[in-house]
Amino acid sequence: MSRVGVVARNTFREAVRDRVLYNLVFFALLMMAAAILVGQISIGIEDLVIVSLGLSAISVIGLLIAIFIGVGLVYKEMDKRTLYALLAKPVRRWEFLLGKFGGLVLTLTVNTAAMAAGLFLVLLYVKHSLERTDIAVLIAIYFILLKLALIVALAMLFSCFTTPLLSILFTSGLYIAGLFIQEMRNFHSRTPNPALEGLLRGLSYLLPNFQNFDVMASATHGRTIPASLILENSIYTAVYCAIVLLTAAAVFSRRNLK
Amino acid sequence: MSPRISIRKLLLIALTIGFAVIWQVQQRIDQDRARLHQEQDELLLRSGKLLKMASLEYAPLMADLYWTRVVQYYGDKRAHNDPNFELLWPLLDITTTLDPQLLVAYRFGSTFLSERPIVGAGRPDLGVELVERGIQANPEYWRFYEDLGFIYYIHMKDYAKASAAFLEGSKNPQAYDWMKVLAARVAEKGESSETATFLWSELYQSTKNPAIKQNALTHLQLLRAEADCEQLDVLAAEYEKRTGKRPGTVRELINAGLLGGAPVDPLGTVYVFGKDGKAGINPASPLVELKNRYVKPF
Repeated sequence: MSRVGVVARNTFREAVRDRVLYNLVFFALLMMAAAILVGQISIGIEDLVIVSLGLSAISVIGLLIAIFIGVGLVYKEMDKRTLYALLAKPVRRWEFLLGKFGGLVLTLTVNTAAMAAGLFLVLLYVKHSLERTDIAVLIAIYFILLKLALIVALAMLFSCFTTPLLSILFTSGLYIAGLFIQEMRNFHSRTPNPALEGLLRGLSYLLPNFQNFDVMASATHGRTIPASLILENSIYTAVYCAIVLLTAAAVFSRRNLK
Repeated sequence: MSPRISIRKLLLIALTIGFAVIWQVQQRIDQDRARLHQEQDELLLRSGKLLKMASLEYAPLMADLYWTRVVQYYGDKRAHNDPNFELLWPLLDITTTLDPQLLVAYRFGSTFLSERPIVGAGRPDLGVELVERGIQANPEYWRFYEDLGFIYYIHMKDYAKASAAFLEGSKNPQAYDWMKVLAARVAEKGESSETATFLWSELYQSTKNPAIKQNALTHLQLLRAEADCEQLDVLAAEYEKRTGKRPGTVRELINAGLLGGAPVDPLGTVYVFGKDGKAGINPASPLVELKNRYVKPF
């Protein structure tokens, strides 16, 4: 197994040992409660509420894991000095980073897949059957996973040069900014300042655009999501993650670990 | 070249290429996302009361955020000339439920709702409802009666209700004296260009929103053009009395000594006479385009 794979596998095992996947119990309880309660308190929108609640829960739980564990991936190893033992072996710094990233993304994938299975089970319970339009829900979950991968990459980048608290703030800040990209582009309708407009427009392409992954409304209403969007979002995430990880590797390789 | 410099250069090249790819992919994603038309569903939670409960003690802050969203929503619609203002009322409903004292939301919100489509939602009935809600929550604020009268007068042409609103507002000790005058004038004359000019001027001076300001300005310019054309028609009648025929151009009035120079509309284009012999705005004037976009005030 390659060195990156070994680091990734151990990161995954560590996450399991740290009881990260216990959140699935919370998710299961939430969805069961929703399935029972929603039928009692709403008329005609039971499945809509289940889908939007389920997708929101998957997103929020995933975000918490991606940010809070992501910022500790590198910092914890340095703090506990386990990194020195690891880097004394023939493992390059960028391999360590890539392995850590892969490990957490694997953890998130397993976690998200389990939650997705739970969501579809509850949906089946409420609707008594699954329809073709439910594929949109699956696509929305895939987009959430792409978003989480991007968050992990950003969290790791910040954790390479600053403290966990600041990394959390920076990552959360970028995430929130990335949800307002369209507003940045439409700023021209609200300001007569061309310099500010140009700056915001440029920023809107530099910052990670988390609006790309928001198809929750379409998924909730079973609307078709263009297949090309799946491919484009996948490429976007892959390229953006590569950029961030490359920068992280450059920063980490120059970091004095003494 | 040292290895460190070469790594830096490589990193710079990689980042440049990476962001170039991101830019390209983003353009395609934007095109695809435009096809999703998610906007009509972007307000999944429409209950202001539920949001107020969920906001805990931060409801006023949430109201401010929602008001910002209203302004952005309205601004985007105006920027794209989109006549679909479907979410305007739910957004305003949530905003004013979260913070019933947010006066600006009632005042501008009612204007956004009442104006004719493209400029607004074309729902003066909802505009009235919003202002009435504002009056209920803030009975001491007399300006709401002015807004209510404005909607009844300009958008609904209901002069009796407009007069009643101005009169009710004038009972507030803080209200300006002209509220009483306005109530009497509307009750007496109904529609008149003086009243309309006064109301639009008030709106123009009181608003900070550029879209509303431009709208009010255009109405004022059109009202002035109407007054100018009425004057020209009087001169044309005098010309007809003298020569036995209606003037074909403004030049004929000048040559006859009835005018000192060519009269221009508020945007600087000379008025013309139509085939019916009546004075009007020159079709080449930018005012014509504005006239087509905004509600005709006369």
